[in-house]
Amino acid sequence: MTENIHIENSNWRLRKGQIIAAKQMTATEKWFDIKLEDGELDHEPGQFVQVELFGVGEAPISICSSPTKRGSFELTVRAAGRLTKHMQAMGKGDWLGIRGPFGKPFPVKLMTGNDLLFVAGGLGIAPLRSLINYVMDNRREFGKVDILLGCKTPTDMLFGDEIKEWQKRLDVNFSCTVDRTAPDWKGNVGLITSLIPGVTINPEKTFGVVVGPPIMYKFVIAELLKKNLPERQIILSLERHMKCGMGKCGHCQIDHPKNYYCCKDGPTFTYEEVKESKKL
Amino acid sequence: MKTAKNDTKAPAKAPKAAAKPKVAFFDFASCEGCQLQITNFGELLLDVLGAVDVVEFREAISEKWDGDYDVVFIEGSIGDHHAEERLKKIRARAKVLIAYGACACTGGVNGMKNSFELDEIRASVYGKDYKLFDSTATKRVDQVVKVDYYINGCPIYIPELVEVLKCALRGLPYTVPDNPVCAECKLNENVCMYERGLACLGPWTKAGCNSWCVNNGNICYGCRGEVSNPAKNAGDVISKYNLKPELIKAKFDMYNKCKEGVK
Amino acid sequence: MNYHILMKGELDGFVKKLAKKMKVCAPVAKGHNNYAFEEVTSAAEISMDYIPTILPPKKYFMPPREKMLDFDISEGKPKDAANLKAEPLAVFAVHTCDLAGIQCLNMVFSEKPRDYNYLLRKESVFVIGLECNKYCDSNASCALVGNHYPNGGYDIFFTDIGDKWVIHVGTQKGEELVESMGLAKASSADMVALDKVREGKKHAFQNEIGVDPKKLPEIFAKGTESKVWQDVGNRCVSCGNCTNVCPTCYCFDMADTINLDLKTGSRNRTWDSCQFETFAAVAGGENFREERANRQRHRFYRKFKYPIDKFYRSFCTGCGRCTRTCMAKINLKDTLKALAAEHK
Repeated sequence: MTENIHIENSNWRLRKGQIIAAKQMTATEKWFDIKLEDGELDHEPGQFVQVELFGVGEAPISICSSPTKRGSFELTVRAAGRLTKHMQAMGKGDWLGIRGPFGKPFPVKLMTGNDLLFVAGGLGIAPLRSLINYVMDNRREFGKVDILLGCKTPTDMLFGDEIKEWQKRLDVNFSCTVDRTAPDWKGNVGLITSLIPGVTINPEKTFGVVVGPPIMYKFVIAELLKKNLPERQIILSLERHMKCGMGKCGHCQIDHPKNYYCCKDGPTFTYEEVKESKKL
Repeated sequence: MKTAKNDTKAPAKAPKAAAKPKVAFFDFASCEGCQLQITNFGELLLDVLGAVDVVEFREAISEKWDGDYDVVFIEGSIGDHHAEERLKKIRARAKVLIAYGACACTGGVNGMKNSFELDEIRASVYGKDYKLFDSTATKRVDQVVKVDYYINGCPIYIPELVEVLKCALRGLPYTVPDNPVCAECKLNENVCMYERGLACLGPWTKAGCNSWCVNNGNICYGCRGEVSNPAKNAGDVISKYNLKPELIKAKFDMYNKCKEGVK
Repeated sequence: MNYHILMKGELDGFVKKLAKKMKVCAPVAKGHNNYAFEEVTSAAEISMDYIPTILPPKKYFMPPREKMLDFDISEGKPKDAANLKAEPLAVFAVHTCDLAGIQCLNMVFSEKPRDYNYLLRKESVFVIGLECNKYCDSNASCALVGNHYPNGGYDIFFTDIGDKWVIHVGTQKGEELVESMGLAKASSADMVALDKVREGKKHAFQNEIGVDPKKLPEIFAKGTESKVWQDVGNRCVSCGNCTNVCPTCYCFDMADTINLDLKTGSRNRTWDSCQFETFAAVAGGENFREERANRQRHRFYRKFKYPIDKFYRSFCTGCGRCTRTCMAKINLKDTLKALAAEHK
């Protein structure tokens, strides 16, 4: 069974990407538009890439742009770890290494023809935006679209300009809430769960797509179940430290009887698939 | 590598020095053994000197520098008011401060002073006129000034110093490993000291030294400090090998007395 | 049926000849009943009667620290390259438990996306197995998982039948080696002796925990909340000894190292352990396996539950290393027995 193994094709090799635009979005979050030297990233909504800063390290980052946008892809990075803090100082013209895309995307095909309810908490809007913009660009393929967005304070809101566009659109229902208000804030104040009772759902033909911090899932899912949304129509994107992206390094394995690796079997799961997990 | 290889003068005066980061070494209450480790760098020293400009280093250079420092290395613990003031002045001139060696990072063996009432220990050292001699309880460097990087160990482990220096030069954080020394010792395939019938502090001590002592036939003395979340029930380890908890505690006190803080 | 023989007195010649062809690594006594695979050039250095080595032979397939990529950022756009020259290597006297361990790792790293570093090293290792005619010690549980007999995974395989070894040839590479060494074919009397050894082992090796291994998946499926995990968690030191010495633990970390020129460097893989506190932590601060009990449970599930679902085999090879090395008396056999007892 001897075969020729060409080490130069190692799966650890990196594609080279150059930052073509960057923008500080909040005090801790920065947005990057990245162009790969060797063509398209060719991802699907909900996937992630491994970003390598040579000599600093690598970290998994959700892709926040829709595949309908060609030529480059976008990341929104919160300064949380070694790599992401270092990225805050990077800008146009800087190079980075990219592996991926990795992971199971949102089930876009299954969602076609159905109503969609998007629930995003905090930085959860970043991976969800790859799907929302995909839906916007293929709006005719889907039914009613509701977007619920929650963040800590009004200044923490990401993609403000784009959100204004969503608010204006007649084919999208958008609501937003903040945990803590600010003087010029005229919107809702309270947890994101408070927005769910106000949404009309047809449980037979609605997919709820929920992305946010681990603490948020339990409460949002409970509200969606109250609305009789079936467990297999609740889609989540889970957070783990995906170090290799190839289902091997072990860091992202979920404590679940099914032995899921978040990087390969996820990060998107139906609630039905992962409800037995120790932690979501 | 651009180094002062053929330069007969002190490395600090090497031709291309101007653009390189200014690095200084200072010592407080210590044996200066960590400085000695640096002079023992061997060939690596030339690589390091290619990357930085050493402006003060008592064991190797006699010149003094009066400007600001990009990086300062502090060796030793702080044991009197004068040292405290001197350290604060250095900190004010330094962009980055690195505590290196057990004395600076955890108090080291000097911390044993804190096992006694201060006046009692001063009297026993200086006699009845002890009040004429300035002396305080032992403090770690971070009990006096802000520390940006730690290089634990007695003495420091040179490969770790080089890693930390590279992080400091690039503005990257360095995380001191927080797993027990066993984690590295096992990879070196050492015969466990407990199997040799010796009590070793490896199971409670922070790794990062590549189990240097055990590789050379010594037990781990705990010089890198205790892991931040040690086993809740160390009694199981101790009982497996018929050892008394007091023995382990006493061994740990040698380097870790400052852990309990300064009254 | 391709069996050869090697007289015991001829081992030194065999090792020396082999060492001329390639580097040879074999179990070497380190004192205090500890052994390690190390490079040897003669039979005198080798312990043919040894208990499992401190680290299993996985270190030759997946070194504790391994360079996966070189990089250079001196000119704006970064450059990277994967380089590996795996030198030919014979690992000699590998017990059947460790052969099983290598087979497990082969499955993991051959699964797509494949790990080229591992596969390249695997191709360069010549594996020589050695049968255990008796238990190494009471910590082993090889009969429970059926690894006390050879199940492939070697190029050639030695069984001690008294004054000589019967050598089974498992691969073409093995055949070529045996031929080049000029080893005699086994006689029918040798084969009878081999059968006798195997027959004797049926009595010498018995299921070590008295629990039907077929029931283990179900016992584990129902055991997620068992107090057994609390018990081992309370004792665990989180030193990672159990995973480092395990022949089938392969979790790893990746990190960058830059040279002092701050321009060139490498990306390196190091063994990691699910027993370490921050193993399942994310940058935002959440730790998905914060408690020692959860981490210990995870280790056992990665031996007895998950791989059975995925690869249809136990990833516990029964070598007993985790029990031998544990600083806190966490005993694999006792843990399994306690878990099974709860299930009744």
